[in-house]
Amino acid sequence: MAVKSARNSRIRAFSLAGGAIAVSAALALTGCTPTSSGGSAGDSDTITVWHYFSDENQVKVMTDYKDLFEKNNDGVTVENVFVPYDQLNSKLITAVGSKTGPDVVVFNGADASALALGGALAPITEQWGAFADKNQFPEAVVHSLEDDVYAVQGYVNLLGLWYNQDILDEVGVEPPTTMDELNAALATVTAAGKSGITLSGLPQSQGEWQAYPWLTSFGFNYDKPEAAPLEDAFTMIQSWTGSGSLTREAVTWDQTVPFQTWAAGNVAFAQNGNWQLGTARSDADFKYGVVPLPVGDSGKVYLGGEGQSIGAFSANPELAWDYLEQTYFSEEGQAIALSGVGSIPSRLDAASAPEVTEDPILAAFAQSLEQNGANYPSPAVPAVSIADQQLVVGQIWSAVIGGQMTPAEAATKLVTDLEQLLAQ
Amino acid sequence: MSIMIPTRDAAAVPSATPHPRPRPRRLRRRFEPIAGPLRVVLLLVYAIPILFIVLTSLKDPSDVISSQSSFLFTPTLEAYTAVLANQGLFIAMQQSLTIATGTTALTLLVAIPAGYGLARVDSRITTIGLGLLIVLQMVPQTANVIPLYQIFGAWGLLDQNLGVIVADTALLVPFATLLLRPFFRSVPEALEEAASIDGASTMRTFWSVMLPIARNGVATTGTLVFLMSWGEFLYAVNFFLSPGNYPLSALLAQQVSAFGINWPGLMALAVITSVPILILFVFTYRLLREGLTLGAVK
Amino acid sequence: MSTDLTVSGPARRTPAPPGRAPRSGARWHAAKRKRLAFALPAGIFLLVFSFFPLAQLARMSVSDVTARTLNQPWEFVGVDNFVGSAAQGSLFPTLGNTIAFVLIVTIIGLVGGLAAAILLSTSNLLSAFVLGLMVFIWALPPVVNGSVWKFLLGDAGLINSVITGVGLTQDAVPFLYDDRFALLSVAIVNSWAVVPFNALVFRAGILGIPAETFEAARIDGASRWQEIRYMIIPAVRPTTLVLAVLTIVYAFRSFDFIFVMTYGGPGVSTNTLPFLSYLQAFVRFDFGMGAATAVISVLLVLVLAVIYARSVRAEEANS
Repeated sequence: MAVKSARNSRIRAFSLAGGAIAVSAALALTGCTPTSSGGSAGDSDTITVWHYFSDENQVKVMTDYKDLFEKNNDGVTVENVFVPYDQLNSKLITAVGSKTGPDVVVFNGADASALALGGALAPITEQWGAFADKNQFPEAVVHSLEDDVYAVQGYVNLLGLWYNQDILDEVGVEPPTTMDELNAALATVTAAGKSGITLSGLPQSQGEWQAYPWLTSFGFNYDKPEAAPLEDAFTMIQSWTGSGSLTREAVTWDQTVPFQTWAAGNVAFAQNGNWQLGTARSDADFKYGVVPLPVGDSGKVYLGGEGQSIGAFSANPELAWDYLEQTYFSEEGQAIALSGVGSIPSRLDAASAPEVTEDPILAAFAQSLEQNGANYPSPAVPAVSIADQQLVVGQIWSAVIGGQMTPAEAATKLVTDLEQLLAQ
Repeated sequence: MSIMIPTRDAAAVPSATPHPRPRPRRLRRRFEPIAGPLRVVLLLVYAIPILFIVLTSLKDPSDVISSQSSFLFTPTLEAYTAVLANQGLFIAMQQSLTIATGTTALTLLVAIPAGYGLARVDSRITTIGLGLLIVLQMVPQTANVIPLYQIFGAWGLLDQNLGVIVADTALLVPFATLLLRPFFRSVPEALEEAASIDGASTMRTFWSVMLPIARNGVATTGTLVFLMSWGEFLYAVNFFLSPGNYPLSALLAQQVSAFGINWPGLMALAVITSVPILILFVFTYRLLREGLTLGAVK
Repeated sequence: MSTDLTVSGPARRTPAPPGRAPRSGARWHAAKRKRLAFALPAGIFLLVFSFFPLAQLARMSVSDVTARTLNQPWEFVGVDNFVGSAAQGSLFPTLGNTIAFVLIVTIIGLVGGLAAAILLSTSNLLSAFVLGLMVFIWALPPVVNGSVWKFLLGDAGLINSVITGVGLTQDAVPFLYDDRFALLSVAIVNSWAVVPFNALVFRAGILGIPAETFEAARIDGASRWQEIRYMIIPAVRPTTLVLAVLTIVYAFRSFDFIFVMTYGGPGVSTNTLPFLSYLQAFVRFDFGMGAATAVISVLLVLVLAVIYARSVRAEEANS
């Protein structure tokens, strides 16, 4: 009897719990989803912009563009949609399957061909052809595939050589302008007990992006990959890791950590980009400057940055184009990005503005752009092979820095792999 | 007859201690030359990373790299104020709560009967069912994204809480069923048989006999499912098209971008995100402790 | 008398009920079969939302699916994806890495979980506190845990500072960037993350052992080691089976920590099957090849699933 009543009370308690679950389930299932657009909803006055920016300054540029466009176009709403970097491409390509997606997409320019092949981007050949200012844009920032234009970059990002002026003064070295000077400077700095240089050796596209200037400075190119220049470049890199100028830890670093490490003040050089300007200003507690990477005449520096394009399933491609024309591709818009995050404008008129030419750091990047700027990715790589090529080079680059492969092994393997990919 | 509630006390019953219970205390107060130090090692192994998380959340971004292994830095609450000032935080928390609650409810709704069914029938089907559940556990989550996106796109479930809840449920039902099954097996069959002879319908027997006895298992499984759906990130990011709908886990991802990681922000958000989880843990501490054995038995 | 060690087997605790009269047996048995209908909702739900994706995965693995063809009809290519993946030379080293990784995570996860459970089975404040910390860790997302360990294991990190500080080595230990250490380091961090779950389950098993059993043993003068050997380990034996399965499955699909800590590097030395599958499908956009690699993992686990399901059934039939 006692057992029974205990059981009953238990049942009651349980029913109560069951009821609670049922109620919360009902609440959850019927509970409205806060915002319910996000894709290109077909609302004629709204455009959605997918991007992967989360840094405060970069987000502010997006907001400024939104305000600018909404101010100039009555009744129009711009909705900026953040998608994490690692998810953006797959989300775009997945969305193609259900014929959805954004009106405008801002993505890593190097992925333009993958996204275009995946059907996520609308060709903008016509709009681009009719664009009055298109001659302001260098050919390197226009991404085409099979005679159609798919994306254009409103600005470029590129790598330079950041230096710690205090350390260089201490050991009596000038910022290097040639590879020999760089090697000599690294030796001096290392002998004085400081670290030489930081860069990224991550086994993926970031590694390839960072490796390219060094590889090309020894004469390597993707048109006809040869082992000899690769071996020379890899030998130099391993001489750096061997002497302690460069830590092998770089293989675990994306491009952020090496810059933060340099900004902590104990490293002479950092191979890093113009987008770090804000970090340098806020974090670096010493005098610093930038010179172009001293990669000589044959050396190339990729012109990276985000590509801007119209989504393949945009319900409102005209408005989307207007947005691009009035923000990313306009002189006014590019000035916003320049002052906000230090992006080098892709328009010639915007790039020759005093804000660029009179700022010593931006001027160094602009100089590098002019002397060594190269298409990213290299036009010699077939569109279908770009992702593979970046991954393969990144992995070898990482193995060289990590000391897993000798320069000769790495060079031979890389050439074999590349020949296969380039032939496709 | 006594109903065996699967708890520690109940487990002590069959040993038929004659003396009435001043509950035998687990005395183990002897000197432990090995266990003592080992316990401290265990403490360090888990406390140091947590300490590191908390310390990093109190740093200025410029101090993160330069003071990696030292405690010398000027603490700042900036990361917390920045995270808390984010208006999206509370919507995200609400979304996480909705998704986790909905997923827990739906998962239990589906997995409880399944666990019961698989526990009560011994046949080849049971064996196959169990094997399939493990295989489903194994399918990489990334592989589910594309097919589910197509289904949800066709059914209008994209950008809806319901879509993410359904996806999370599909992810967790195999786990929950595997975990629940032993709880139902541990209910003596005689009990159910007796009820059925008394004329109770199968449904009623299940509802009023089985469920109350297995409630420990249900609560444990529910807690674990809640924890897991709270942290789920991949489906949330892919199936929500509006950032306003992202739950906390996606907000965490926002701290990591192609252009750098906001370390203090990431750690501060991790701490804030974990608070509800810790509260839940404190409440279900006993249940987790006692319930888990059963589920894990087979 | 049989000491019922914890809860290890329902039937063991309740021996075959004498009340099962032959008269009602047949009818009862038939009614029992009907109980399978309870699994129907789950069956249907999983059929739509889990088996459909699984079938798509299988179909993808034998089709030519790239970013270009993903949203078009897929062309059947047989085993090309498997062959292609193997021909690129990364599959077999990756398979070796995966096996080493799974072994390390499973062994440390289980042994560490059991050790932690034994250490924390005493009811005192320290144990409760440590357990709380462990659950906290278990609930944190891998991006946080992985980043923290990346810091701790770095050249300037705490662990290297301590090691070099006390003079164990001259230079920092290359935990994450030397191919001899990297896989081991990531595997150990992964084990560290799975130990809390295993410890919780094991601990509950140990707490289920009647205190009298321990006291009796103590009066007989059993040492702590003997307690562990002859009482605790047999008591948690059934728990170990399911935990082993869950841990192996976890290790087989673990991907986040590698992604955060090494990205498969240096070179390709910490590539495991799930990471390779990710690279193929979402970095190189060769969805077919990525699916093929994932299918290999699923097949490996299928073997495990069969063993598990059979042994569960055999054990339950005997009990």
